[in-house]
Amino acid sequence: MSYLKVIFITLLLFVLSACTNDEPTKLTNIKGLIPDLAFELTDENNAAVTEKNYLGYTTAVFFGFTSCPEVCPTTMHQWAATIKQLGDSAASVKVLFVSVDPERDSVEKLRQYTELFGPAFIGLRGEDAVIKDMTKRYRVTFGYGDKNTQGDYEVSHSSAVFVFDQHGKARILATQSSPPDDLLHDLKNLLASSR
Amino acid sequence: MSALTYLLPWEFSPVLLLSVLITGGLYTRAVLLKPNKEIKVKFYWQVLSFYFGLLSIYIVSHTYVDYLSQYMFWVHRFQHLVLHHLGPLLLVLGGAQWVQQGAPSLFTNWCRVPAVIRVPSELCYRFIQHPVIAPVVFVGLIYLWLIPEIHFAAMLSKKLYWIMNWSMLIDGFLFWWLVLGPEWQGEQRGFKTRLLMMVVVVVPQQLLGAYLTLSRSVLYDVYDVCGRAWPISPLSDQIYGGIITWIPASMMSVLGLVLVLRRRLNYLKRIENELS
Repeated sequence: MSYLKVIFITLLLFVLSACTNDEPTKLTNIKGLIPDLAFELTDENNAAVTEKNYLGYTTAVFFGFTSCPEVCPTTMHQWAATIKQLGDSAASVKVLFVSVDPERDSVEKLRQYTELFGPAFIGLRGEDAVIKDMTKRYRVTFGYGDKNTQGDYEVSHSSAVFVFDQHGKARILATQSSPPDDLLHDLKNLLASSR
Repeated sequence: MSALTYLLPWEFSPVLLLSVLITGGLYTRAVLLKPNKEIKVKFYWQVLSFYFGLLSIYIVSHTYVDYLSQYMFWVHRFQHLVLHHLGPLLLVLGGAQWVQQGAPSLFTNWCRVPAVIRVPSELCYRFIQHPVIAPVVFVGLIYLWLIPEIHFAAMLSKKLYWIMNWSMLIDGFLFWWLVLGPEWQGEQRGFKTRLLMMVVVVVPQQLLGAYLTLSRSVLYDVYDVCGRAWPISPLSDQIYGGIITWIPASMMSVLGLVLVLRRRLNYLKRIENELS
């Protein structure tokens, strides 16, 4: 290995060191890597909400769409099961399901969808440009496929769940492939450190 | 989407914009100051090559292509093909040394720089431009940024993404400058070293490209995590990216080899003409 490669790796570790902390997490630690929670959207009850409405909660943010056949329902079911295992702390967790398909996801549809998973789940929507800005902030994206004869279309979107602490600071990144035990472990630790 | 969306930067970078404007401005000044006797057909080709190289770097770094590069593996591979291979090679062939001639003499007098800065800079430059080190760094950087864990962090963090792209561009320029810069005009000395350097960088790139293309599992899940620009199967995305790394990238190195041979042959022809 050349000296330069060593220098590069050292530099990389130095940059990464600014993004990590001493708390061991089993899932990807994104402290410092991802910006704080911030948004202005409409919730499933048609009320205007911002990140301030959820400060004090451990908040998970997911960008999905209700017609999603696989990633969204799998991820939401996984979260519903994990939240159940949290016991009393479950009330301190909110899962924000931000629709990346506002054309098809009405407020009504979002409410019906999140009710399937439990009271911790809240559907949020906004204009296309607002959602674009929000996804850009978290370095994720979404895109649409061509419409078929029935008017349906595929949507590519992020499979990430960004978990923010009660102060709105980004802490953990989970995906549908994250082991449920690891998710539970990290959530418990995060909730314990918030007390 | 309007045409402006495709042309405007996804993430505005004043550093990149200023670098491109200053480099392009100084080069243009030098070109305009060239005495007529130095202007031959080759000169026009060189000017075209330089501007095309600079424009290609700008397009992949500061337009909609940059957005796509962050959310599609194959576009990312294309971006690095331009930043590490095509763009810097075109700049070097286009006479990048003229940029210095276009700069006011105040900034080009290297000897005036305090020794504290000058000496370590020269040592670093000599080290990285060593014929053994340069190809290792050239290929090593491609491999380094494609280590799945590092690739994941680089795509998720704006800061690391910026470091990744600049490191590729700077290293690409240094490598092509060493191989085809103005210091070597085709002399016997350094010819074999350059040939060997080009051969050495081709094989690992082909191996990497083949590995990405033929791999049956998705190696870079960051594109699933962050979402793709449009619906496409993760494996197809990886295969296209692998092919770009495999074929055009290694072909660029073969092109470098041909250019080294061509410069050597032209040099021999010149010597022969001078003798006869």
